[in-house]
Amino acid sequence: MTFAGNILAITKKDISLELRGKESLSLMFFLSLLLLVIFNLALDMDNENTASLAAGILWVIFAFTGVMGMGRTSMAERDEDAYLSIVFSPVSSESLYIGKVISNFLFLMIIEISTLFFFAVLFDFEKIIISLPGLLPSLLLGTLGFSVVGTLFSFLTTTSKHGEIILPFLFLPVVVPVVLGGVSSMNLILAGRPVEESMKWIQILAVFDFMYLCISLLLFKYLIEE
Amino acid sequence: MNMRKIQMPLFLSLLVLIPLDFYLIFKVAPTERVMGDVQRIFYFHVSLAISSYLAFTTVFIAGIIYLWRKNLFWDTIAYSAAEIGVLFSTLVLITGSIWARPIWNVWWAWDPRLVTMLILWFIFVGYFLLRNGISDWGKRARYSAVIGIIGFLDIPVVRLATKWWRSVHPRLKSEGGGLDPVMLKIMLFSMATFLMFTVFLFLYRYSIARAEENLIVLTKRLED
Repeated sequence: MTFAGNILAITKKDISLELRGKESLSLMFFLSLLLLVIFNLALDMDNENTASLAAGILWVIFAFTGVMGMGRTSMAERDEDAYLSIVFSPVSSESLYIGKVISNFLFLMIIEISTLFFFAVLFDFEKIIISLPGLLPSLLLGTLGFSVVGTLFSFLTTTSKHGEIILPFLFLPVVVPVVLGGVSSMNLILAGRPVEESMKWIQILAVFDFMYLCISLLLFKYLIEE
Repeated sequence: MNMRKIQMPLFLSLLVLIPLDFYLIFKVAPTERVMGDVQRIFYFHVSLAISSYLAFTTVFIAGIIYLWRKNLFWDTIAYSAAEIGVLFSTLVLITGSIWARPIWNVWWAWDPRLVTMLILWFIFVGYFLLRNGISDWGKRARYSAVIGIIGFLDIPVVRLATKWWRSVHPRLKSEGGGLDPVMLKIMLFSMATFLMFTVFLFLYRYSIARAEENLIVLTKRLED
């Protein structure tokens, strides 16, 4: 099989696994919903401050549900003893990594869009749906950043003791630039500023994604050699 | 091992240099006009910061060499340095906070340098959490190397991202004349002393790590 074929095979495997069990997606979905409710109860939200708090709330939810979901996906593989079969399968480590990044990216995107939708409903804030086209670049790049780092780290923590707890400890500090970029650009767009102003945040997100994709591709093969 | 040959002279010279450094900082260095005596903490703060960056750079380089050569020696180097890095960055955060209270009127400010140091601290605390959860030596070394490399490379990105918030951190080369020449000399002396102290601590930590490893190997052999 070709390189692209291998990648697709891995992605397809993850998606069909998810469609059958719906373990990670359902976990992420309910966690995001629960966090939305908790934020709404914890913060005194009204029509005025919703716009300024929205970006922060949403990106915290994205980061937390993302790290939980990616941890769950790779843990499921270990629980079913599929981990070794994947490592020994005749695909290169690069295609394995990229395939997993793509599937994680897709799952995160689905959850993020649904979170935005429920945010609009629960916080009575339709503006977030209306400005979705403007938010999309930072959303896509930020999610890619999450999945690039998360895929690498979830492999790293899967085979270690208490891995599920350690994963957020490693993941969250490293993705600080993604959260900053995502929150800042969303704030600018929700405040009705022109798209150009959020451009520098888009750039930093793109730089982050590119940098970590390159490093992860270089480092991933060291994680799976047994 | 020739380590011991370096350790002893280092120890003896530090026995002289550290008290001398303290004397210079508290007795010789002029009192800063605006900040007063609290400014003297700079001599520690900056030196500790540089030393911790040196330690984290060592983790980064040792990590790369480990992945390349697969020699556990480099892993021992890396985690010995990481431990010193965590210790010193903790002290940097504490000394900075002590200084910030009277000068900025807050214990903490969300300035790029502060945030970068804090994030770095978190990453390397995570580094040790991960190490504790892995018993296989080879795997632990590989995984730690990956975290060490990624953690180090995160510095410039975090720095850049946080820079676009307002920055309140004082810079050494401030506008105009900059630092008083006496202050500068003492600062450089202090930095050199702390760097030597870092190397000394590192060698010491390294020999303990080696002793621990040998002990584990010997116990295993006895059991077999």
